[in-house]
Amino acid sequence: MAIDQKPLIYLNNAATSWPKPPGVLEAIKQSILLPAFGSGRTTGTQGEDYATQARERLSAFLGSESPENIAFTHSATDSLNILITGFLHREKGECHVLTTALDHNSVFRPLNEYAQQHRIRLDTIPFSGCHVLPVSVEAAIRPDTKLMVMTHGSNVLGSVQDITTIGDILHDHGIYFIVDGAQTAGHIPLSLRDLPVDAYVFTGHKGLLGVAGTGGFYIRDPGTVEPVRFGGTGTDSFSLLHPRGMPERFEIGTQNYPGLAALAAGVEFIRQNEMLSIAEKMEKQTAFLVSELKNEENIAVYNEHPDLPIIAFNIRGLQNDDVGFMLARGYNIVTRTGLHCAPLVHKAIDRGAGCVRISHSWHTTDKECRIAADAIREIARNADPSVGKA
Amino acid sequence: MKEFLLDAPVTEGFFAYLQNFGSVESLPSVGDGFHKFEKQDWFSIKGFSGDTTVEVRFKKEVMDLTADFVFSLFSSYREGKLDISVLKRREEAIDERVRKRLYGA
Repeated sequence: MAIDQKPLIYLNNAATSWPKPPGVLEAIKQSILLPAFGSGRTTGTQGEDYATQARERLSAFLGSESPENIAFTHSATDSLNILITGFLHREKGECHVLTTALDHNSVFRPLNEYAQQHRIRLDTIPFSGCHVLPVSVEAAIRPDTKLMVMTHGSNVLGSVQDITTIGDILHDHGIYFIVDGAQTAGHIPLSLRDLPVDAYVFTGHKGLLGVAGTGGFYIRDPGTVEPVRFGGTGTDSFSLLHPRGMPERFEIGTQNYPGLAALAAGVEFIRQNEMLSIAEKMEKQTAFLVSELKNEENIAVYNEHPDLPIIAFNIRGLQNDDVGFMLARGYNIVTRTGLHCAPLVHKAIDRGAGCVRISHSWHTTDKECRIAADAIREIARNADPSVGKA
Repeated sequence: MKEFLLDAPVTEGFFAYLQNFGSVESLPSVGDGFHKFEKQDWFSIKGFSGDTTVEVRFKKEVMDLTADFVFSLFSSYREGKLDISVLKRREEAIDERVRKRLYGA
């Protein structure tokens, strides 16, 4: 099969967005062509201080109180580890922590490590439909519940959670609220200073259109989380103890300058192109794809009304990784298959078998959506639904 | 998972040959024909008719025992030595070791 004659259709943006806007590529190039400036590690002042630029843009974009409330890390997973570990450092003795079945292993694994060490007791709140209900959160609260960590947008179902109502409930009980925004940052407008969240985690390489190896978090009150990594910051160098101010409290070592330059450029691209108009285009494409797939007898779509450009499905009679293989090799369409690091979602929706996920982007055309829908339907029409049917 | 680059395109006949050693599922109308060979506890081979690459997924725990057998399947088919009795004897011997490692029996 001459797949090289078919243009690549990339529908795996919920994993890593591609392609990047031209401005992002240019920013990376410039950051490498020129020496690094600023950040307390050079006398050079002739160019951009990438960390400061990215921090200012992210702060404005996410609606934080000030750039000082933003810290950069290697990824969303790195951010969650820092926040969870740093928060628990302040807790004396075992406490109760909540998360949800919609969450990702970046949340489950650190929390379950601490549960295994008897540092916390962990309860996982199930979801109903595609959402975690505020009433379920309220019912799960115990007298010693100190922390809740939950996803803002499901990376499998594409459903955005009601973090405003949930955050208000948690705050009424004095519970700290960390939100994993890996799938929502760059996709939906946010004003974090107005939301009842204590920390919001983002990654650079998905909706913010930067590159892998960048991420970070917003934190309302940095004093609520202890630093857990220590070292050079380029500031306060006489002190043999790590500085406690922001952003040094959570940022160690030399920054990923090309990554931060890319992140700043990605955010600028979204701002200039108006996130809402990008989102509107993607919403139409999502609705089109869902309607094409759900009407096919052999296809099970797990959320027919996703809030994010994420569609999860299976074809009856075929394993999800076979469908992914056929799309990739037969049609040059890149998707993602398997469990998507969200095992409890799959336990609930497909008995843990996993599914195919398609996720489009600002760059995906209507024609590409049509080709993808036709390819998926062609595979479905040729599958034998009786195979593997329970 | 490993990609194998073959010196000739995959054919429907190749997967028909593989049926001697496991199960084959085919969707002939998808593209130029999708085929999947599954040898439970050993490995699976997926490919499209006319393509020169196939994807092989090994069961990690026994890959050291089974990997050579994949090459034997490819070479025996390519060289046209379709007397499968020798390969079947090898298969039996390997299978005993695979089962012993995976299930202790």
